[in-house]
Amino acid sequence: MLPRRLLQRGVLGINARNQRYTLRVNERRFYPLVDDKLATKRMCHEAGIPVPRLLAVAEVNAQAKRLLPELSDESAFVLKPARGAMGNGILVLEVRDGKMMRGSRAVSADDFVYHAAGIISGLYSLAGHADAAMVEEKLITHPAIAPLAEDGVPDLRVIVYRGIPVMGMMRLPTRASGGRANLHQGALGVGIDLELGVTTHAMFRGETTARHPDNQRALVGLAIPSFDDVLYTAVSAAARTGLGYVGADVVIDARLGPAILELNARPGLAIQLANRAGLAPRLDAVDEALGAWARGEHNDMSTAARVALGREVARVARPKAAA
Amino acid sequence: MSRASLVVGALLVAFGLAVFGLKLFAFEIPLAVSEGVGPWQVELRVNVRGSGARGSVRALLPASEAGQAIFEENPTADRLEFTVREQDGGNRTGIWSGEIGPIHEVVYAFHVQMNAVEAPLPSTGPFPEPPRSISVTSLAPSRTIPADAPEVAARLERLELPSMKDLPGRIRTIYQWVANEVASVERGNDDPLLVLANQEGSEAGKEFLLTTLMRGAGVPARIVHGLELRPDATPRERTWTEVWIADRWVPMCASPDGFFARRPENFLVLGRGNVAHVEATSVVSVGHRYRSLREHLRADEIANLLTPDNPVFERLSFYRLPLPTQAALRVLLLIPLGAVVIALFRNVIGVQTYGTFMPILISLALREFSLWKSLALVVGVIAFALVLRRGLEFLRLLMVPRLSIMLCTVVLLVAAFALVGDDTQTASLFAGVLFPMVILTMLTERIFITSAEEGVRQAVVRAGYSTAVAATIHPIFQSARAEYLMFTFPELTFCAMGVLVWIGGYTGYRVTDLMRFRRLAQEQGAEAA
Repeated sequence: MLPRRLLQRGVLGINARNQRYTLRVNERRFYPLVDDKLATKRMCHEAGIPVPRLLAVAEVNAQAKRLLPELSDESAFVLKPARGAMGNGILVLEVRDGKMMRGSRAVSADDFVYHAAGIISGLYSLAGHADAAMVEEKLITHPAIAPLAEDGVPDLRVIVYRGIPVMGMMRLPTRASGGRANLHQGALGVGIDLELGVTTHAMFRGETTARHPDNQRALVGLAIPSFDDVLYTAVSAAARTGLGYVGADVVIDARLGPAILELNARPGLAIQLANRAGLAPRLDAVDEALGAWARGEHNDMSTAARVALGREVARVARPKAAA
Repeated sequence: MSRASLVVGALLVAFGLAVFGLKLFAFEIPLAVSEGVGPWQVELRVNVRGSGARGSVRALLPASEAGQAIFEENPTADRLEFTVREQDGGNRTGIWSGEIGPIHEVVYAFHVQMNAVEAPLPSTGPFPEPPRSISVTSLAPSRTIPADAPEVAARLERLELPSMKDLPGRIRTIYQWVANEVASVERGNDDPLLVLANQEGSEAGKEFLLTTLMRGAGVPARIVHGLELRPDATPRERTWTEVWIADRWVPMCASPDGFFARRPENFLVLGRGNVAHVEATSVVSVGHRYRSLREHLRADEIANLLTPDNPVFERLSFYRLPLPTQAALRVLLLIPLGAVVIALFRNVIGVQTYGTFMPILISLALREFSLWKSLALVVGVIAFALVLRRGLEFLRLLMVPRLSIMLCTVVLLVAAFALVGDDTQTASLFAGVLFPMVILTMLTERIFITSAEEGVRQAVVRAGYSTAVAATIHPIFQSARAEYLMFTFPELTFCAMGVLVWIGGYTGYRVTDLMRFRRLAQEQGAEAA
């Protein structure tokens, strides 16, 4: 039976994720920290965790027009809703020959203001509430990864459970995903061996693949640059939120190194497909190592110890054949 | 599932089932809709405006006779004096009199157990002469039944009627001519001679012509005023004819949906002769409407439900409430069933819909419509609004005004539908639950955004899932059985809540999880199992 086999492989379903993890270890009062990207940015900034520079914010419609003048010195930036979900409403723009371009399409100043006004009205926010439009610098993808993603900014998603990194994947935008690093929109998901920092499998639209669909580059066996720092960054940001189950999105910037793009209190489960592994055994292993979870628990392990435990958990869970 | 949710769910289900069982077995409330045997609850509501002068309002009240048994009559007088007058002709009139102020609303509610009346025409004679009392009232011409008019005689001549010996043949010939050769037109003429001249008229006009021709042909005939009671709509005021043959009255109606030598079980007689359903004197204005509800219990069973022997259940029975409240509650109590379906679709199957409860609200608003008609309406309105939404994109309007423009469009579209749609069904669309224009507007916006953000394919897939959920809920909302069950046994709502607790505590895979991750199950070398 399919459900039994999935259970044996430790595949986590949405109901189980919600019941056992997000509803249990993610306290509602901490959600605003991750649902509002401005709050996340502030939190990370205070903790010295690198984040993309905030260039401008508009909280009311009147301010939408004033966004562009503040960006006159910038050559590449991202307009996004502060409380958006699933990558919706994000506009990645580059200035070429004095013109704002989204990919190969020109974007007029009017388009920009209209999009910002839509964001402020709450068009893309989680519950349709009024939102803020924020503009931050566009990060420059690390040269080791850049060739894999010509159409956008790739990021690394790390699931951090009770402060321990348990699974990671790289998300590569494709032409099909329109530059967005969202798997259900057609981005590539590339599983990562947490212990080695090397890519293991790749998945495109739910199918296994070994090569990038746009440029045929190999996706498996690549070493992720500064992978230690990626895990450190993800863990220290996630641990600061007070949430027990977090998806940290990290971008490896050519100048900043790993920087937090955003945090997610309800991270998706497709990461299991990219890694060809279920989350449940790793989450159980963390529970076993740390003891039963208690409300408001404070874990004073060092970041290094957390990362080490996460790697140990991932190593034990690694399929025997590959070990 | 955690033990706690298992137990809480079980407690809710057990409580619901316990009350349900108690009512079912101890009080013997029937489980199923006994189609066609239940009485009707009928209500006449008269609004009258006066200038303070003394005046009166008169309304035809039904009387018990073959085919209809009236009981539990319940008039309200609203500061007026109420009396019932029984006339010689058998008509009963309710009279509300007194000083008529700016606004009065009087109500006359009653229950009636209806049966079809079969009155086949006798095939052979002899056909005795009608008694004098009948020939005086029902054979002689009158102002409204001009049976002695020359054109009536001329028409009867051309019909080449059988002789008086074949009375049934005469009756049949006249009926068939009026039923088949005279057109029924809405807002047609009521006057029998004009109907005869034009060979078209209103439904009532045709009946007056039928009565006139019968009398002209020597058959005693009279006009009957009554109501056609309908299961899911307000009663229609109807007029039909009775002819006297072989010592009894035989009903017939020459409308396209008429009847002959029988009275269907949903035709209620209010009165006979040249009378109005409701009329008033010395008032500024008067208006009236009928409402009816089909009971699914027999009269004695309702009485049992209301019996003071069970004070608790008497207080808790919805059958004590006024009719409009009952009608609203019957709909509302179906919502828990819809909620269970939504939860199953979302948490067990795992499909994404637009808006969590949107399919419930739309199905609820369209419950009077057939599924296909509902789909056509929703899809039509949304398709039109989407085109408009695309056009509005060029104007770059701010969100709230833009959505408001779409809302206006949706209102216009639904209003246009009222113009072209079927009258009675459309009327019920606007009665009771207000049609959820706002939901349709937001739905359009979400579909537009989704198709721009995630692609048309995703938008269509999600719209398909929303439709599937709505199409599952719609028949439940339409089911008379479900309605009866939830209204008579509202404790079943607790069972629904229990099931929802169980669904909420379900930690197993959703069907969509299985589809997404099936590849992982196929691979060999399962890790640390």
